[in-house]
Amino acid sequence: MLEIKGVSVKRGALVALKDISLSIELGKTVAVVGESGAGKSTLIAAILGLIALSGGKITWAGGPVRGIRPALVMQEPRAAFNPDLSLRQSVSEPLKAQKLPVDTKRLAKLCAGLELAPDLLDRKPGQVSIGQAQRVGILRALITTPPLILFDEPLSALDAVTQKRTAQLIADLQRQKGFAALIVTHDLGYACAFSDEIAVLRAGSVEETSTPTAFVNAPETDYGRKLRDAAVSLGALERAS
Amino acid sequence: MTLSVSGLNVERKGRVILAPTSLSIAPRARIGLVGASGSGKSTLGHALIDALRAQGVVVAHVPQSPDEALDPLRTMAFHWREAEKALCMGHNPARRKALFSALGIAYGNLTKRPWGWSRGMQQRFVIAMALIGAPALIVLDEPTSALDPVVAADTMDLLDNFLTGQDTAMVLVTHDLGLASRRVERLWVMSEGYLVEEATTEDILTRPTTEAAAKLAAHKSWLTVPC
Amino acid sequence: MIQTMLSLVLRAVVVLVGSALVTFVLLWNAPGDPAMAIAMARFNAVVPAEVVDQVRAEAGLDAGFWPAFKAWIGPLLVGDFGRSSVTGREVWPDLVTAVGYTYPLAFLALFWGLAIALPLAILAASRPGSVLDRVCVAMASTGAAMPAFWLGLLLILLFAVKLAWLPAMGARTASHIVLPALTLALGVAASLTRIIRSGILEARDQNFLPALQRRGVANSAIERDHVAPHAAIPVVTVFGLELAFLLEGLVMVEVIFGRPGLGGFLVNAIDARDFPKVQAVVLLTAIVFVAINFAVDIFYKLLDPRMEDRDA
Repeated sequence: MLEIKGVSVKRGALVALKDISLSIELGKTVAVVGESGAGKSTLIAAILGLIALSGGKITWAGGPVRGIRPALVMQEPRAAFNPDLSLRQSVSEPLKAQKLPVDTKRLAKLCAGLELAPDLLDRKPGQVSIGQAQRVGILRALITTPPLILFDEPLSALDAVTQKRTAQLIADLQRQKGFAALIVTHDLGYACAFSDEIAVLRAGSVEETSTPTAFVNAPETDYGRKLRDAAVSLGALERAS
Repeated sequence: MTLSVSGLNVERKGRVILAPTSLSIAPRARIGLVGASGSGKSTLGHALIDALRAQGVVVAHVPQSPDEALDPLRTMAFHWREAEKALCMGHNPARRKALFSALGIAYGNLTKRPWGWSRGMQQRFVIAMALIGAPALIVLDEPTSALDPVVAADTMDLLDNFLTGQDTAMVLVTHDLGLASRRVERLWVMSEGYLVEEATTEDILTRPTTEAAAKLAAHKSWLTVPC
Repeated sequence: MIQTMLSLVLRAVVVLVGSALVTFVLLWNAPGDPAMAIAMARFNAVVPAEVVDQVRAEAGLDAGFWPAFKAWIGPLLVGDFGRSSVTGREVWPDLVTAVGYTYPLAFLALFWGLAIALPLAILAASRPGSVLDRVCVAMASTGAAMPAFWLGLLLILLFAVKLAWLPAMGARTASHIVLPALTLALGVAASLTRIIRSGILEARDQNFLPALQRRGVANSAIERDHVAPHAAIPVVTVFGLELAFLLEGLVMVEVIFGRPGLGGFLVNAIDARDFPKVQAVVLLTAIVFVAINFAVDIFYKLLDPRMEDRDA
């Protein structure tokens, strides 16, 4: 469905992405992991068509990605909303942009799925917790039922307990709705626990791709091993005793 | 000498941020101050630092991100010298060299400003600076969350190694019990401004007595990896 | 570095040529016959049509817009400002004389303005929200809202008419400069006070300051080494703009106080459609403007080396 083929992006003399190839089917999740500066955010911008490619192609079912209006969930949930609008107004903005009506029943159902109290949407971004704000961010992404959702470090502003709950909610919703998901994260634990495929990005190119199980057991590259060992050392992954 | 403080409490606009708390910290102790966001753990960390400093104890603090520790307009050399002066210590290049090598700070250009260094190196510099006065206690406030995992893990390992053989005690403030369980032997669990549980890491992981501790323990890590 | 210099020179050329062209267009299209205006200014009387035509030919006004523009800008490129259409005297020496009166006034106004603003702003920022702060801000707002011509007249009324301490008109003695300089300085001080105050408050709100305090750095050292340099950044930016506004106010103040500076020079020249003179003033102003911007740019990079890094 989402097909990234041999994509390169240059920024001045700097090569931000080098010959990236990835694909994501409906209902599946690909996690892109790697250090900051590896090109994770550039990849998202490239998929959204915000920057020009210097090589390669990004398509959805053979056509342009723009046509399906993919949604984006950002890292800083509170900064992602207009502070002067109620969350309800912010959430209905993508619907207005596509001239779609607000389906109150569906909205209520989505809220329930995200463990959001119905009246919470009448507050402003500054009046809810970061965890709640991020769930509203996910709600906004889901409201137009896009077939593809991009998650840019969706959990890194949340605390450990909230991270795990939110990740589970995203996974449950994905099972119901069947969207394709691309998660960009530096948290290997999250990537391993909630994706179908892991792509390790380093200095603009994909070092290795594998299933989470294969990656956790035996990373193919030195850098992959370093990433896994760091995740163990920081307690994101736990060794069975 | 065991450090102890009593009656720490913080109120803001009539709201209790931190209920009255007393603590004691043995030399060389490694303690995790854990809790969900908004539980008051950072407030307790700050109150602890202020109270100990008022007793004349040398305490050091490492904020979450180097952005919160370094002035972008000032060079690294300036920051180092300033930290020495704040401790009423003379300039000692040998001490700096020793701390740099202990924390794996490769030759860094000290005439550069923070943004001329990588974030990982900035954070190590901040930790090295905290250790100048051989403090009785170093409080680290989420020291790894702003760093890449590989760099974060290396930094924590280097700090662990350095502190072995020193009298300096460590308090690691974090929301992540997974991280704490790998680094500390005792835990203080915070919930809604109260210190609700205090026990060894082992005990809290296997037999938590409060709901807050149980929740943290249950969400400790993402996956269990076979050996 | 060479690239920076080149782009700077290019920008300067664009500004200078642009402002020369715009002024020429404005003067050319101003209502009334320019030749008539020149002739009337020259002979100080109503003149017959043939004399006007003669003046028109002499000033090159009969050849159309572009030839006239070229005839003026050509010699200028080799540093010749030309001769006045009215008196026939060379423009350059008269211009130099006028500038000789204007620049001490400008610098004195700026210096006094800063000398008033700095302590007021520091005082106001020492306790934000206090009565003292509000009084300072209110004074600054009032000052900024007061036009120079009105403030100038008030000062004349008080110090020259009522108290008779200072002379009001002319530029004969050193004390003649006090009232016009004060008029301008109060305007400068008003806006600088607010900028410096908010610069200090913002600098005190930076997220790394609590960590410095926890590191044991003394408050006085934090103010000196970490607050002041950050507060200076917006102030320098605005200071450049302030100079530009000052040029504007200067013209008015010089006319009010009857000082023979650039202001009077310009007003007379516009009245008489004395193209070469007007153009000379405009060009001079544009050069000063470009130079100020250049200086601010350099100073800015010295204060905030992050800018340099971003350029590279």
